[in-house]
Amino acid sequence: MVAIIKKEFLTYFKSMTGYVFMASLLFFVGLFFVTNNLLILNPQYSGVLSSSTFVFLLIVPVLTMRLMAEETRQKTDQLLLTSPVSLGRIVMGKYLGAVSVFLITLAITFIYPLILSTMGTIFWGEIIGGYIGFFLLGSALIAVGLFVSSLTDNQVIAAVATFTVLLVLWLMDAIIGSLPADQTSGLIFALILVAAIAFVFYSATRNLFVSGGVLLIGILAVAAGFIIKPSLYNGFIGRVFGWLALHSHYQDFAMGIFSLTPIVYYITFSTVFLYLTVRMLEKKRWS
Amino acid sequence: MIQVDNLTKKYGQHLALDSVNFTVGEGEILGFLGPNGAGKSTTMNILTGYISATDGHALINGIDILEQPEEAKKMIGYLPESPPLYGDMTVDEYLDFVSDIKRVTGTDRKKNRERIMDLVRIGDVRGRLIKNLSKGYKQRVGLAQALIGNPKVLIMDEPTVGLDPKQIIEIRNLIKDLGKDHTVILSSHILPEVSAVCERVIIINKGRIVASDTPENLSRGLGDSSKLNLRIAGEENLILKAIQEIDGINNLESLGVREPGTIDLIVEADPDVDIRRPLFHAMSKASCPILMMKSLDMTLEDIFLQVTTQEEEVR
Repeated sequence: MVAIIKKEFLTYFKSMTGYVFMASLLFFVGLFFVTNNLLILNPQYSGVLSSSTFVFLLIVPVLTMRLMAEETRQKTDQLLLTSPVSLGRIVMGKYLGAVSVFLITLAITFIYPLILSTMGTIFWGEIIGGYIGFFLLGSALIAVGLFVSSLTDNQVIAAVATFTVLLVLWLMDAIIGSLPADQTSGLIFALILVAAIAFVFYSATRNLFVSGGVLLIGILAVAAGFIIKPSLYNGFIGRVFGWLALHSHYQDFAMGIFSLTPIVYYITFSTVFLYLTVRMLEKKRWS
Repeated sequence: MIQVDNLTKKYGQHLALDSVNFTVGEGEILGFLGPNGAGKSTTMNILTGYISATDGHALINGIDILEQPEEAKKMIGYLPESPPLYGDMTVDEYLDFVSDIKRVTGTDRKKNRERIMDLVRIGDVRGRLIKNLSKGYKQRVGLAQALIGNPKVLIMDEPTVGLDPKQIIEIRNLIKDLGKDHTVILSSHILPEVSAVCERVIIINKGRIVASDTPENLSRGLGDSSKLNLRIAGEENLILKAIQEIDGINNLESLGVREPGTIDLIVEADPDVDIRRPLFHAMSKASCPILMMKSLDMTLEDIFLQVTTQEEEVR
């Protein structure tokens, strides 16, 4: 795994990719530092990071588009997949390789709060909390990008698709606001969800019996929930999609609140997408 | 060393491999022969764990590639059809990376790498970016990659593609040497290569094994007559008449005049009869000197065509 991390990290700096990523992130964080702190003499640094989160939309695809797509296109995945390294380690190695580039860039921006600290009193706890949140958010988005990259063998398609997905995630709060929140639509949505899960089961196992059972149990559970506590379905759609609203979970960090929930949330989110990437590679071998 | 049972692979509805069975002994060099799309690469990809079989098992040294992939993969060096190279690495960096992921550790790691670079002669390009290398060098770097870690089993998909004739001979000799202490499977659609290198040949067509034997046995077993190509000086009618009087001649075909004053002939006889001596005496008696006599044994090409087209007719 270490070998793959090393290889990914070094590959970023053999082409423009790593430099473009670092330069863009450093430029925007620096820009917001100048406008939010230096020019108006403001000691609040966490605002700089939360303003910079939109940059992820542009630079995460740059970082992740190559990861799996290029291996498939160049057929170098044959080397990786026939080596005595498990799929999980391959995916993890690639992920950590990309994350390490991000982490190093982030470490460089730590100069800004240090500059601020020479000019007055600043709240280190808040700044470090903000950095942890910024790092976790970026890492979660990198996991999404890695997954999208495993779906195609074309870097450009991977980049555009990743950008689209990240944009949807970014706008998720606005999307949720416009979704219906009444009980009936919540119930219907829950049933659709159950059907979708049963279908995924079926396409994975090709076993009509098991997936039928899943469907039946799911429907019964949804119905039982509706009979026992109908209010469960108030705003159900919003709550489900809320799980995907990555950026709203960042609010705590932006306000200087350091709580465990968003940390666990981001780590879980990354893990799910890394797992999906492994599944995707596994599936390619069977098709 | 390698055991394959009922290997079947389906791509959707398309049956790429149909219940393939074979075994390869330790230190054996096995050649896979077949037209494009016959299932050679598919078999190799399954053996190396790159793709999974729809049905059946592949055992490497008794270890199932699906059940204990990491253990099995440790024993395999694989050179796929297109060598899996990272263009923006130098040869040194690349082989270092391969050593890392193949978990080659210890003190002889560097020595091992130097030995392999000597073996495939890529020492002079070690510092260059792989993307700038010629096709021949790329192929050899790919071969070096397969040799890293000194795996017991070497699987090579068309190892000499893209090489010039001199390099082809070098690589063939190298593969022969490797066969002394490795089990080697290689595929090719170049027949002389297979007969030059391999101890045993498996001909596969449309996902099925249609023949499996040594190259010699294959050419002997399938020929139903022995043919001679002759060039004899003298008058055509006289020669034809004299030959027809010899016992055991099945067929006589005149190819016409290629050299003034001579005729070219193809003579077919029963496989167990050697007609060369009677032929000589007959011609000597007729005072028509034989200028050329060449045996037309079935080449692997003929066998290959025969086997793969016979298959078609049966269906």
